[in-house]
Amino acid sequence: MTSLAAPVRPSRRRAAWATLVLAAAALLAVGALRDGGPRTQQDRIEAITGRLACPTCAGESVRVSRAVAAESIRAEVARQVAAGTRADDEIVGYVAARFGAQVLLLPRASGFDALAWGLPVAVGVLALAGVAAAFVRWRRTPAGAADGAAPRPRTSPAGRVARASAVAALAVGAGWLVGRQSGERLPGQSLTGGIEDSTASLLARARASTFSDPASALELYAEVLALDPDQVEALTYRGWLVWLVARGAEDATLRDRAVAGVVADLERATAIDARYPDAHCFLGIVRFRHAGDAPGAKAALDRCAALDPPSEVRGFVDAIRAEVDAAAGG
Amino acid sequence: MSVRRIALAAAVAAAGLLAVLALVDAPGEVTGESPLLGAPAPAVVGTTIDDASFSLERRKGSWVVLNFFNSTCVPCIAEHPALVAFAAREAGLTDGAELYTVVNDDSDDAVREFFARRGGDWPKVRDDDGAIAVAFGVARVPETWVIDPAGFVRLRVLGELAPGALEARLDALRAAGSS
Repeated sequence: MTSLAAPVRPSRRRAAWATLVLAAAALLAVGALRDGGPRTQQDRIEAITGRLACPTCAGESVRVSRAVAAESIRAEVARQVAAGTRADDEIVGYVAARFGAQVLLLPRASGFDALAWGLPVAVGVLALAGVAAAFVRWRRTPAGAADGAAPRPRTSPAGRVARASAVAALAVGAGWLVGRQSGERLPGQSLTGGIEDSTASLLARARASTFSDPASALELYAEVLALDPDQVEALTYRGWLVWLVARGAEDATLRDRAVAGVVADLERATAIDARYPDAHCFLGIVRFRHAGDAPGAKAALDRCAALDPPSEVRGFVDAIRAEVDAAAGG
Repeated sequence: MSVRRIALAAAVAAAGLLAVLALVDAPGEVTGESPLLGAPAPAVVGTTIDDASFSLERRKGSWVVLNFFNSTCVPCIAEHPALVAFAAREAGLTDGAELYTVVNDDSDDAVREFFARRGGDWPKVRDDDGAIAVAFGVARVPETWVIDPAGFVRLRVLGELAPGALEARLDALRAAGSS
């Protein structure tokens, strides 16, 4: 008796499977990369806050939580979206850098968090390999093996180790790939969350080395001023550092020229931000010590005192105050 | 098992439990981790409840202590005498730290009434939209942060401050900074 249906050739069957797999992959790629069109600010706020966990509640996103901390984060996200200076990932990174990785609803693609993505895939690959191995073993077992038929040929130990190693490598590789592709990746983030090396960082480093390494501090202030020529703190402290060096110069012409630059820096700083006390304080000191201008120094020091300078600067001013007042006649 | 042995076991268990609770509740000893530690402090700005402006960047040159606070929070109330003592001590030092209260989810009137009743004349900075709290990653109050004169964040204390704890930590930071 012959079958009515013609047998399907193995090559055709393989081609059909390959077409099916390719079509599925293409559909997934289109779905993943599809552009949903322009988003409103509210869309962005909702998307970002939906990626963040409320730091004081269990299992709620910042988007839905009514907790004070969540509302603060929501307000910050709204502010940064309105400012338009950071992308979504950068805003999520900003929050995560402050509250820690526990506020990320999606585990990250790096460090310990990556296990959340990679481990299930690796276990899945190992399980599939185990099932496949079991099927192969059953197919190789002859029908009469249980009744004393000849045993099936066994794989050598080296072959078994090689196969197991290949499966393990495949599992780890697949897990790693999925972790890299799926995890939360934030710009500039290390495992603990990084803070960008910005003007603030340069200024803080310059400030820390002002007295221990003035040359480095001057370079850092110059870097800041190259980025932002109106940066008041950099102008003020560059001027102050140059004054500290120049006041000891023996060449009067060189000294006068340097001090003229110092005064220009300090006066510019006071013009840009009249409420910055340090610039007024240093201007008063330079006017008195270099030019002997007691009234001008007194005016600057009075302004400085009214603006409540920090203790370090107040110490410099207190050391000169009585002298200036006496010279200015009261 | 004899009654005496049971009583002895119960007493040991109770003592152990008490010891654990005492350790867990020890205030002011929980220094928090933060990516901000050792990094430049966020450039936060605001206004005080007396409408004076506040800019953390402008306080460089002083040690700055920020205490995040709410007038109804029980640990905030409990730690307040420690903060009053701290402020009094620092006021007498030439490089004394500047203490600022950052008001978290509270009204000006409630804060004024709190300080009028319990003392403390340092500035209280409004944080109505929580921008300062978010910039420092503060989710619960009280929290206390220390920023050095160069503007680097040096310490974060979670929860209630124990009397004298902040002074001890600040002295250690000053000593480390000058060595």
